Amino acid sequence: MNIEFLKKAITRRRFLQATGATGVAVGAVVGTGGVSLSALVPLSESHAQETGADGETKVNKSICGQCPARCGIDIYTTNGRVHAIYGSNDHPIANGKGCPKMHLGTYILYDPDRFKGPMKRTNPKKGRDEDPQFVPISWDEAYQTVADRLNALRDKGESHKFGLFFGRGWGASDVGVNIVPFGQLYGSPNAPIGHSSMCSDGSILAKQCTDGNASYSSYDYHHANYLLMFGANFLEAFRPYNNNLQVWGYIRGEKTPKTHVTYVDVHMNATASAADRALLVKPGTDGALALAIAHVILTEGLWDRPFVGDFMNGENQFKTGVVLDEVSFSEKWVKGLIQWWNTELKDRTPQWAETVCTIPADLIVKTAREFGSTRPAIALFERGAHNHSNGVLNGMAIHSLNALVGSLFAEGGLAYQMGPAYGPAPANPDDYMDDYAKNGPHKNMPRIDLKGHEDGYLMAKNMFQEVGKNHNAGNPYKLDTAMFYMTNPAFSSPDARAWEEALKTMFVIDTSPFPGETAMMADLILPDTTYLERYQDAPTYPFQGFPMAQIRTPAIKPLYDVRTFGDSLIEIGKRIKGPTSEYFTKLESVENILRHLARGFEESPGDNGVKDYESWKAKGVWFKKPYHWRQVRGEFFEWDGKGWNKPMDAAAVKEKLLKTDSGKFEFLSSYMEHKKDWILAKTGRSPEKYNIPHWEEPQYTGGGDLHFISPKTAMHAEGRSANLPHAIALHQPAVGGNKQALAEVHPSVAKAKGIKNGDRIKIRSALGEIIAIAKVTELTRPDTIVLPFEHGHWAHGRWAKGRGTHVNTVIAQQSDRISGMANYYTGKVSVEKA
Amino acid sequence: MAKWGMVIDLEKCTGCQACSTACQMENNRLPGENYQDVLYYTEGKQPTPSLKWFPRPCMHCENPSCMHVCPTKATFKTEDGVVLIDWNKCIGCKYCMIACPYGVRFYTDEKPLIEPNIKEVFKAEGGMQWSPPYKGPQQDNSHGVGIQPHGVVSKCTFCYHKISKAPPETADLSNDDPALREFVPACVRTCAPTARYFGDLDNPDSQVNRLISDKHGARLLEHTGNKPQVYYLSGGVVPGFTRPDKS
Repeated sequence: MNIEFLKKAITRRRFLQATGATGVAVGAVVGTGGVSLSALVPLSESHAQETGADGETKVNKSICGQCPARCGIDIYTTNGRVHAIYGSNDHPIANGKGCPKMHLGTYILYDPDRFKGPMKRTNPKKGRDEDPQFVPISWDEAYQTVADRLNALRDKGESHKFGLFFGRGWGASDVGVNIVPFGQLYGSPNAPIGHSSMCSDGSILAKQCTDGNASYSSYDYHHANYLLMFGANFLEAFRPYNNNLQVWGYIRGEKTPKTHVTYVDVHMNATASAADRALLVKPGTDGALALAIAHVILTEGLWDRPFVGDFMNGENQFKTGVVLDEVSFSEKWVKGLIQWWNTELKDRTPQWAETVCTIPADLIVKTAREFGSTRPAIALFERGAHNHSNGVLNGMAIHSLNALVGSLFAEGGLAYQMGPAYGPAPANPDDYMDDYAKNGPHKNMPRIDLKGHEDGYLMAKNMFQEVGKNHNAGNPYKLDTAMFYMTNPAFSSPDARAWEEALKTMFVIDTSPFPGETAMMADLILPDTTYLERYQDAPTYPFQGFPMAQIRTPAIKPLYDVRTFGDSLIEIGKRIKGPTSEYFTKLESVENILRHLARGFEESPGDNGVKDYESWKAKGVWFKKPYHWRQVRGEFFEWDGKGWNKPMDAAAVKEKLLKTDSGKFEFLSSYMEHKKDWILAKTGRSPEKYNIPHWEEPQYTGGGDLHFISPKTAMHAEGRSANLPHAIALHQPAVGGNKQALAEVHPSVAKAKGIKNGDRIKIRSALGEIIAIAKVTELTRPDTIVLPFEHGHWAHGRWAKGRGTHVNTVIAQQSDRISGMANYYTGKVSVEKA
Repeated sequence: MAKWGMVIDLEKCTGCQACSTACQMENNRLPGENYQDVLYYTEGKQPTPSLKWFPRPCMHCENPSCMHVCPTKATFKTEDGVVLIDWNKCIGCKYCMIACPYGVRFYTDEKPLIEPNIKEVFKAEGGMQWSPPYKGPQQDNSHGVGIQPHGVVSKCTFCYHKISKAPPETADLSNDDPALREFVPACVRTCAPTARYFGDLDNPDSQVNRLISDKHGARLLEHTGNKPQVYYLSGGVVPGFTRPDKS
């Protein structure tokens, strides 16, 4: 048979793929290899010995590293080869299951482009096209170089010019007992600066402003009968992702009654498809939708009276447009409902919302009626809803829905997260502060990110993304030296170029195991181990509220001359002049920290029997159910060891749960009221509305005509998939993005611009221009372009480099003024055929 | 002897592809050459487009086309119902790839999906295509298990290296029973929404048969007469495919 027939025949193996992608089709191309004679020779099994068929398989406990969920994993190693990772059966988040990223761990460990040991830069020039000309150095020289620089700054009284930036920190042994005291004892307000403003601070502030808890929520999905999700891709990205998938199988496939789901997003994705109703909303307008839903809940009398309260005369007086007397309503656990109604909600009808968010009014009404009449119901949201200038307001509106239906701290509702029963660290940093640490000039210096500063972000937790810009402008000053742990801002920040420029004029220490963009701009490389090669602790990401802490144990010794970051920082700390070195000498090592933490378990053994370091390592996780508090029909109870039986008075509720000035859920935010003058001055919001959930038009950036959305797909392992060909091939399966992420373009846009499937296109904003490959699809709104965030690296390894499109080249630097949240999803671009 | 079969519940499947990544990990597959793929379909228009997907392993047909056309009898069916390839006998003619109605067979000696070619990074000696540092200990060429040699066709083995070690008379292989977890096929073991089930189709009491009966398990391409041993649950209608004469 000739080659042409074979070609046609081979593509038949893909016949079931009806996605119709042409230029970007999946499929192995018929090569000219043909049949080799060696295939006719019976293959011997001699290589079986090499693969260790005779060897014993070791299984060790660890924690997956591909997202913050912290699934417990079992790592399988045979004859020194780490070959498989599965979820740990007895881990409450993993339950023996995995998400697609869990199984990528072995590829990460054996990434051929990993750094092999500590190095210093010998090429003084820095730039994308510059070879750093790294040369190997000893660890001793590496640590001493860092310490000498830091000591010199301290001697000059300029310790504030040292910044320690971290992304995915895990727990006490790297951050809490290590990085944080380092900054405190060394004496720099910029050590550490965390990435949370590039993460999801918008939701944290929204919660802090309404119920006083600066935290992500924990959820009791298993008992919820209705889920209303805004911009949190439950089945592709929302955490803890693996557990969300398990929840889905249960609530949709096993639970009686089946949980009903309405999903709000800007794009048809897996969750939108699998939900009962998908509301494809205009980017940045989730708040309008939430306000309209609240309006319907009130006008139709669907609010939860035991939690919220009621009209004194028992009649529902909420009517569209009608102002009410505050004293007509007796509030139970909320504050400001009537003021919120009078000032904002009374006019926020579904008809109004339709004009703003493009969701038909009848669907808004249906959704509101379902959400308001089904108990228990949860309204949840993350970045999709709050990565905009109105983000905190959107979040407050959405979270207020939970208050209206009484799901706060209730069974089938949402709550917060208890911390683990860790024992004390090997030392208390407060005992090791010298005069400099207590009173040095750094104490009067603002942070480089202007967090907490009047001219910057007074109320933010961090303002990581603007450090590059601030440094370049010397505002408030320039850094001298910066260390990076688990973060690559030269790639992942909005306006990443500003960070890239900034790194050129500071001494950069990168600790990544991988040759990322920040590493290419580094002066010193202190490569970390990968998560499979180390000990580490990680208290749970907010999950179901009960305390939990998991532990990593190494599957093998480090493959190369690399060292766990926590241990490296301890070694550097020991070389800092003064009592700082004594603190770090007492810490000794990551393992020593873990031993100390585990002592707490002696007093408080876990449900699985973990009571000390050895049992913690053996089981991989310590946890103690349940979450201690519960709201039942408007009354609060604390766990007494047997049940939620101990009634809580208002003072206890205020202290532990609704941590606001009033001790209630505040539609009228007292937290914002404390910063009233600043908020009015910096946001231009009105005195009447600034501290209530209200609709504000988002300020889109970029200057184009199409919304630019860069979501994370299920294969996006916090960026660690970029150099894994196995992950690249599966990255964007819904539209065939299997060599790089494709830009999803609506047919009406394609037609207008003469763009066909597979064409190269230019995506332009005021910031810059990128080239992408188009996928013409109805999955995306006509006013929106979707290009997943993952590719577009100019470094990071042989598969990452030069592949696909870097979205942050066109995403402008704009952040929510209240939360500091980077507005990743608020850009507008123009598109043309390239 | 068991007649191994699989059930996939499309109402629970979330399209996450963990089955694919678990498979590629367990079977040392090259990028994009996973035995188990999730296929996606789009229909309709904004604001009501449709996105559907379904996971597709080898069907391990009762009546496999691939076996019937194999000139060397390299493709065979075991006593416990699993269709395998004996790489010692396969000549790589690819007749089976043409014959398979489901497109589940793989020949990986061609241009790689992702450049640079990972086979060049992790080279192997002799007849194997590559030798990655993360390869598993299992290698059984007479059953098509392990790293794929040059010039042969490969396919899903229902993780034969695992299931063949299950205790006799086992009705279902599930992660829920800790004693059985090492025998469970990778895709079934990892599936987080528990959309995949694996068990003995010849045992009327097995969970797989209970699901097929209660939830109307359907097979793909029923009209070919291949009789897959993989059943889909979705109320009797399998998305993404309609019979040619009905479209």
